[in-house]
This record gives sequence, C-alpha cells and structure tokens, in this order.
Amino acid sequence: MADRTLLRAAQLTLVAALGATLLVPVIWPLDQSAVDLAHVGLSPSPGHPGGTDDLGRDVLHRSIYGLRVSVLVGIVAALAASLLGGIVGGLAGLLGGWTDRVLMRLIDTLAALPHLLLGIFIVAMLRPSLGAVILSIGLTHWLSTARIVRSELLSLRTRPFIDAAIAGGASRRRVLTRHLLPHVLPKIALATTLMIPHAVWHETSLSFLGLGLPPHLASLGNMINDGQRSLLTGSWWASIVPGLLIIVVTLAIAALATRWRDRLDPRARAELDL
Amino acid sequence: MTLLHTEGLSVRFRLRDAVVQAVTDLHLRVRAGELLAVVGESGCGKSVLAHALLGLLPANAEVSGHATVDGTDLLHSGEKVLARQIRGRKIGLIPQSPATALTAVRTGRTLLAETLRAHDRDPKTADRVAADAGFDPADLDRYPFQLSGGMAQRLVTALALATDPPLLIADEPTTGLDRPLVDHTLDLLRRRCDNGGAVLLITHDLAAAERVADTVAVMYASRIVEHRPATGVFTEPAHPYTAALLKALPDREFRPIPGHPPMLTALPPGCAFAPRCPRADTTCATPPTGPVACHHPLHTEVAV
Repeated sequence: MADRTLLRAAQLTLVAALGATLLVPVIWPLDQSAVDLAHVGLSPSPGHPGGTDDLGRDVLHRSIYGLRVSVLVGIVAALAASLLGGIVGGLAGLLGGWTDRVLMRLIDTLAALPHLLLGIFIVAMLRPSLGAVILSIGLTHWLSTARIVRSELLSLRTRPFIDAAIAGGASRRRVLTRHLLPHVLPKIALATTLMIPHAVWHETSLSFLGLGLPPHLASLGNMINDGQRSLLTGSWWASIVPGLLIIVVTLAIAALATRWRDRLDPRARAELDL
Repeated sequence: MTLLHTEGLSVRFRLRDAVVQAVTDLHLRVRAGELLAVVGESGCGKSVLAHALLGLLPANAEVSGHATVDGTDLLHSGEKVLARQIRGRKIGLIPQSPATALTAVRTGRTLLAETLRAHDRDPKTADRVAADAGFDPADLDRYPFQLSGGMAQRLVTALALATDPPLLIADEPTTGLDRPLVDHTLDLLRRRCDNGGAVLLITHDLAAAERVADTVAVMYASRIVEHRPATGVFTEPAHPYTAALLKALPDREFRPIPGHPPMLTALPPGCAFAPRCPRADTTCATPPTGPVACHHPLHTEVAV
C-alpha cells in the first residue's frame, strides 16, 4: 500500500535525520563556525553536498547542526506547552464554575491574537537565547492542549466509573491520579507529538525574522535568513538546503504522529491537519 | 443489631425552575443478616436513595433527616470521613450498569489491587477476592472492554466485596443479565446475609426481590408506601399500589397499572397513588402514614 510506503519513508527519514544530528560531531568532525574564505559560495559537489555559504562554511554540515537545535527547541517547547496546557485545562475541567469560566475566556482572548505576533512580543522582551525562544513558543502553544484536557475532564467527570470509584472509598487525589489521568495522559502525549513540528516551524520563523536564536548559533531559521543574501549572488542552495531539511523532517514527524493518533482513535481518521 | 438506620430521610434537587422531590421522609432499618429489597418503578427515587447513603449526590441536592450506618452518621460526616471510614469499608456498592462503572483504561487486577491497598489489605489477595465473586482470576489482566456483561458484573461485585463491608448496596444488579447470571448474583447476595452481612437490594425486578428478600420496601413517587416482611408483601399485599404492581407481573395477571406515575416536580400533598387507585376517595387528599401508607389498605391486620 502507498500509505505504508509513505510511513516507512517517514520513519527512515526521521531515524536518519535524528541519527545524523546526534552523531554529526563523530562522523563529520568539522568546525561549524570556521570561516573558509578560499571556498566561498561553492555550488553542491561531492566534497560539499550542500555547497558552501558566503563565508565558506559547508551548508549541509551547518544545516544538520541547525536541525539539532531546532528539534531540541521543538521538543522542549512542545513539552513546556503541554505542561502548561495540562495544568490550565486540568484546573478548568476539575474545578469548574468560575475558575473554568475565567480560564476559558483567557484562552479565547489569547486564541484571538495571532500567536506568532504574541511570540515575537515575548522574545522581544527577553535577551535572544535558546531559553527565550522556548519560552516564547511554550507560552503561545498551550491553548489547544488546555481545551482538549478540559473538555476531556468535563466529560469524564460525570461518568459512572468516577462515582463507582468514589463509592469504593477512593479519595479525590486517587480519583484524579488513578481514574482520570490515565484517560487524559495519552491525549496530552498525542497533542505534544503533533505540536513538535509546529514548534519547530515556529522557532524557524522567529529565527528567520532575526528574533530567535543568536546569529552565531546555526539554527535552520538563521541559515535561511542568511541565505537570502547569497540568493542575490546565485547561491540558491544556502537557503534551499536548510529549508528542504525542515520541511522533510517536520513532515515525517507529523505523518508518524498522525498515524499514532489514528491508531489510538480509529474514529479520528484525519488527514494531516497541523 | 441495626446496621442501617434512616429517619425522615429526604432528598430534593433544586433546579432552575423546579424542585425535584426524589426521596421523601424515609424510615428504614436494616439489621445484620437481613436482605431488604427496595422495589418500585423506574424514576421513583430508588437509586437516589443509594447515592444519598454514600454521599454521592450532585451539588444541587438537599438532604435532610438522619441516616447512620453501624452508628456512624452518613449525612453530616465530612468528605474525608466518608472516604476513609464509610465508602468501601462499611458500605459496599454494586453499581448500576457494571460495564460503565469500570475505569476503561485499567485492568481488573489494578482496580482490585487499588481498592485492596486503599483499605490496608494485601493486594496479592486479588485472585482470591475475584474468585469469591465468581470472576475467573485468569481474566484479571483484561481491560473492561474485553469483558462480557456478565464478567463485568462479577468484577464490580468483586470490587464491592473486596473489603468485606458489613452493608452491601446492590443497585439494580440483575438488569441486563441472563437467567443463570441473575441466579448467581442473587445467590451471592443471599449467602452474604446468611453469613451475617446486610444487603440493601435496589431493584425493579419483583421476581428477584421475591426470591431473596427478607423484607420489602415498596417505593412510589419518592415515598415508601409499604414496608413489611417479604412473604406478606408478595402473598397479601396491603397497599393498592403493591397489589397493582404484582398484578402487572407477566406470570400473574399481566395487567398494567392505568395512568402514569406523577412527576417528582409536582407531587400531590396527599397520597401520590390516589389518581391511579381504584380505592381512592376524598380522604386520600391527606397524607397517609404507617408501614402501609394507605387510608384504605387491602388488609388491615398486617404483620410488620
């Protein structure tokens, strides 16, 4: 089946990409920031499969380092967003009443603002760093998780098995940890996985706008931004190589996450919606 | 020894534009070794009674009167006392519709072990507890959705009996079960009483009540209208409603009661059954009292 071939391809891509980011210092020991003015703007060749940029640095090599940073930021930011979303959604769903109303209106308000703009606002207030970017993404991407957790808890709260657990002598805490959380955690895990590619794109966007990671760090967004200058001199590869890498890797993650969701919930047979 | 005692127990639900009178002025007494069956049509307040005794009512419920189990107050004890000393310890509940009463993402073994551990019992005894309730211990590692209705029924029974509570409340435990399983469940309840436990059986299945109950309380429109030893109720019903209920049974006259039960939001001040009762007259506009709540009982000298 074509579906299966695609999945297999996604798996292989992901394994290769993540393997490369982890092993690159060993298998391709090259100083990622060493300037080599003798080899500026070389087009792709066996020696430099991705060509070199306007400072003579190997584009593919730097892209792998960039991917390393982007994936790290993506994962940590997605985890942070899920934690925040889980806490807010949990409070709204469990406490209900006014807490719920206030928190949900807060979420509606935040959702009404463009989240990239909000993210820019947050990084602009902080010194450019890895932590600032993670914070910016984490603080703008928890809304959907909070909504999922809240609605899940609201529907679970009134189910007979909760009353049955309480009738058996379960304390509030035990109902929460043993009877509610096991239902909600898989959904949070899934939301987190689906959020990773989104967070990677977000990081890239911020860096591309020059608001993300400091310029000396090879991040994919920084590289695409730098590559714009080379575009004028005809060195298209300086932007295209990191750009392609980000597209391929995030698509692979998204494809696998979607597949995982379909497995958990066969009713949610959905195409890639991100 | 009296295990469960309620006096004037009433439960009302306050809605936006109405008040639902779910349980009215209930006087019940269940002794150790006694099986009391509370019978009545759907919506007469039977299940609310069970939930009230366990403190499981929603926030808009207003409870009044007194209820004690084994000397401990049920209505005025805090959530902590209820969780630690009452639920599961003194009162076990076999919930309605067992399939939905099991946490879907947990196996029977973890549920059973959790209950045992919470009541300071050895979680390793899970196998024995399951077997005692007729649940094959080999199936303990299955998830609820992998169990048949009968297996789920036995598992919730095992969960309720795990801590050996002196009072067991069984809320419609025979609904949806086939004949052998009904027999099994009823035998199990009867055996508990014969071994000194007490059971409050809530059911609309009169045949089931007739088979195992020591005493029967017939509930109609939130009140208990007849509360007597089971033999008397089934052979010489004193309240016209009880008589009509028995006549409606397929293996008796199969004659349904004319009319409909009143809405619990608009109960009449007098006898709620009067509009459907062939014996009703003007005196029925005042509320009847006594173990047979009727102004014109079919039998005046009844054993109470």
